[in-house]
Amino acid sequence: MMLREPARVVEVNPLGNMTTPLTGEELMANNPYRPWPARITSITDLTPTEKLFEFRLIDERIREAFRHEPGQFVELSLFGVGEAPISISSSPSKRGFIELCVRRAGRFTEALHAMQCGDIVGIRGPFGRGFPFERMKHHDILLVAGGLGIAPLRSLINNIHDERSEFGKVTIIYGSRSPSEVMFRDQFEMWRHRKDFDLYLTVDHPDDTWDGEVGLVTKPFEHLELDARHTYGAVCGPPVMYRFVIDEMRKKGIEYDHIYCSFERHMKCGMGKCGHCQIGHQYVCIDGPVFNYWEAKNIQGSM
Amino acid sequence: MLYRVIDAEERDALVSAFMQEYEVVAPVKRGRGYVFDVIESPDEIAYDYSTTTASLKKYLLPPRETLMTFNAVDNCITEHAECIPPRVIFGAHACDINAINRLDQVFRDGRYPDPYYTARREATLVVGMSCMPTDDCFCHLWDADEARFGYDLFLHDIGGRYLVSISSVEAANILEAACNPRVATDEDRSDFRQATRTRQLSFNQNIPDIQDVAMLMDAFHKDEFWDELGGRCLSCSACAAVCPTCFCFDLQDRLSPDGTQGERYRVWDACTSPQFAEVAGGHNFRPDGRERVRHRMYHKLNGFLANYDRMLCVGCGRCVSACKADINPIRVLEFFEEKGSEHDA
Ligand SMILES: Cc1cc2nc3c(=O)[nH]c(=O)nc-3n(C[C@H](O)[C@H](O)[C@H](O)COP(=O)(O)OP(=O)(O)OC[C@H]3O[C@@H](n4cnc5c(N)ncnc54)[C@H](O)[C@@H]3O)c2cc1C
Ligand code: SF4
Ligand code: SF4
Ligand code: FES
Repeated sequence: MMLREPARVVEVNPLGNMTTPLTGEELMANNPYRPWPARITSITDLTPTEKLFEFRLIDERIREAFRHEPGQFVELSLFGVGEAPISISSSPSKRGFIELCVRRAGRFTEALHAMQCGDIVGIRGPFGRGFPFERMKHHDILLVAGGLGIAPLRSLINNIHDERSEFGKVTIIYGSRSPSEVMFRDQFEMWRHRKDFDLYLTVDHPDDTWDGEVGLVTKPFEHLELDARHTYGAVCGPPVMYRFVIDEMRKKGIEYDHIYCSFERHMKCGMGKCGHCQIGHQYVCIDGPVFNYWEAKNIQGSM
Repeated sequence: MLYRVIDAEERDALVSAFMQEYEVVAPVKRGRGYVFDVIESPDEIAYDYSTTTASLKKYLLPPRETLMTFNAVDNCITEHAECIPPRVIFGAHACDINAINRLDQVFRDGRYPDPYYTARREATLVVGMSCMPTDDCFCHLWDADEARFGYDLFLHDIGGRYLVSISSVEAANILEAACNPRVATDEDRSDFRQATRTRQLSFNQNIPDIQDVAMLMDAFHKDEFWDELGGRCLSCSACAAVCPTCFCFDLQDRLSPDGTQGERYRVWDACTSPQFAEVAGGHNFRPDGRERVRHRMYHKLNGFLANYDRMLCVGCGRCVSACKADINPIRVLEFFEEKGSEHDA
């Protein structure tokens, strides 16, 4: 597909100052609602309901300008279907490509799952505040993911792996409902094998082949040893999980403001306007989606 | 600020002058109430209107607005231009100008300026007009009974003449050409002071003045008052529709019948609607009226304050008339008033 001339979006009559078609970065700055065309470059089946999509922004200027932090998200757009906020699952160091791990959950995600390599989608973003990667350096890291919560955490995990020597001990606890729902297992197992990370995989419902732990994601905390004063925690998962995991982290002695959680809320605009993502006085889309526990405690209705 | 005085008889000439170059929107009588509408003649204007049923926001944030059009076959944005008429909003009361100022903060001045809103806002002149409070007005509590900025002209009624605050060159030129603005005399100034005072003393004294309502809302977040208040919400979202500062919206796509072309548009939405905070998988973060109404009141009287140092509610009183279930910020203030007097007793 050829990239068209960027569309003329707003024209004011007769002041004339907005009639010039906006182009390139100017448009990015001026019309944050405009999705940029991106091509699907690869699709990997992860589980029966989740696929990993790799996208490449077609416009080179936009592709070059696109930089994200782990924990940020994009608004993915399928014209005629709508938009959905999706966490970026790839490391910021993977320049030029954006990976999104998407669960089939309804109308939009069904439509995406039906797409093929080479198809065009729209992407705008990245949006939101991610994990404080720089501040986390030179600390031990404890990452806890439940189910699809691995999607945003994978960006952080991959980024940590890129700069492994900058971090102390890194522990990953990743809980799924059943063995078939465990994502990126080969990659994680390999890193465990190479002693890059400590890895605890847990499932609620094991099958005959399962050799990991059985139970909730909080189970491995029973025998976890950590240097709490020098540890950052990161949590992402279904809403019910936060309370329990954070309690365990607090019991181990990790500081309130060293525990980071990524929140999911209904989102439309992604930039602090439509109101859908609000919790208390915070907009999850721009003030989050990553909040530390101290901030979260100070938002009425966050957990 | 620059002040001049014009005679009351000159206002029609001013409106006519604006009508030469702009579409003029003004308060007009409709049935038993008032609405803002495009006028054809200055005679239509209800200069001494109380409060319009709906607010002015539709001129800056239309209830439904196309953001872009696209070709759904190759997933491309297609050419689309929105024509925005240069417009004058004539006769806005102070609370409504303060409401626009709040919308400006969200849509024009933030980190992601909204090009649609900004284009409309820049094509709009605002002419304010002083007013007297109705029984439902409580703008004075939130310091919104006076517009300090956000208008081009503001006409203060000082009895048979207007003291005009002049803020923009564009409007000053039209005022100059259409009327005979003169320098204010001591008498004008004294009448202005008197008029301001009369207005300030005319507010309904039964509406409790609770300046620390934001803090109290935090402290009483779990009080059963919210069950009672929100429990009676009908989820009609009339409150949000009439409110000058409710700006939440939804984004949707619509396809042509053959499925090849389409548009992405935004429509007003409201946090009082049941699905507003529902996410995939069916989890709803605010599943019932209690949470939804509390959230709305919170945003109006607490949350926006935390972010912008001013209340989002401007005390216009529209939701007081619009809500069939008697839910509005005054009820919240009364609850805290009661809490205070329980203690005194
Ligand atoms: C910050 C953030 C990051 C996310 N990251 C991922 C991810 O990495 N992978 C993934 O699979 N999913 C992610 N989600 C969830 C994803 O956005 C929803 O699954 C998706 O919107 C569901 O749309 P649907 O039409 O398929 O589902 P339906 O249930 O049919 O949804 C109906 C409509 O509700 C709205 N809706 C429902 N849930 C949400 C939601 N959470 N946010 C916004 N709108 C919603 C949409 O308008 C949607 O069209 C994330 C959500 C957020 C807020
Ligand atoms: S608060 Fe009143 S007006 Fe608003 S949705 Fe509920 S019943 Fe309707
Ligand atoms: S909440 Fe009610 S009183 Fe306050 S600005 Fe909105 S409509 Fe007016
Ligand atoms: S998603 Fe619109 S305000 Fe956050």
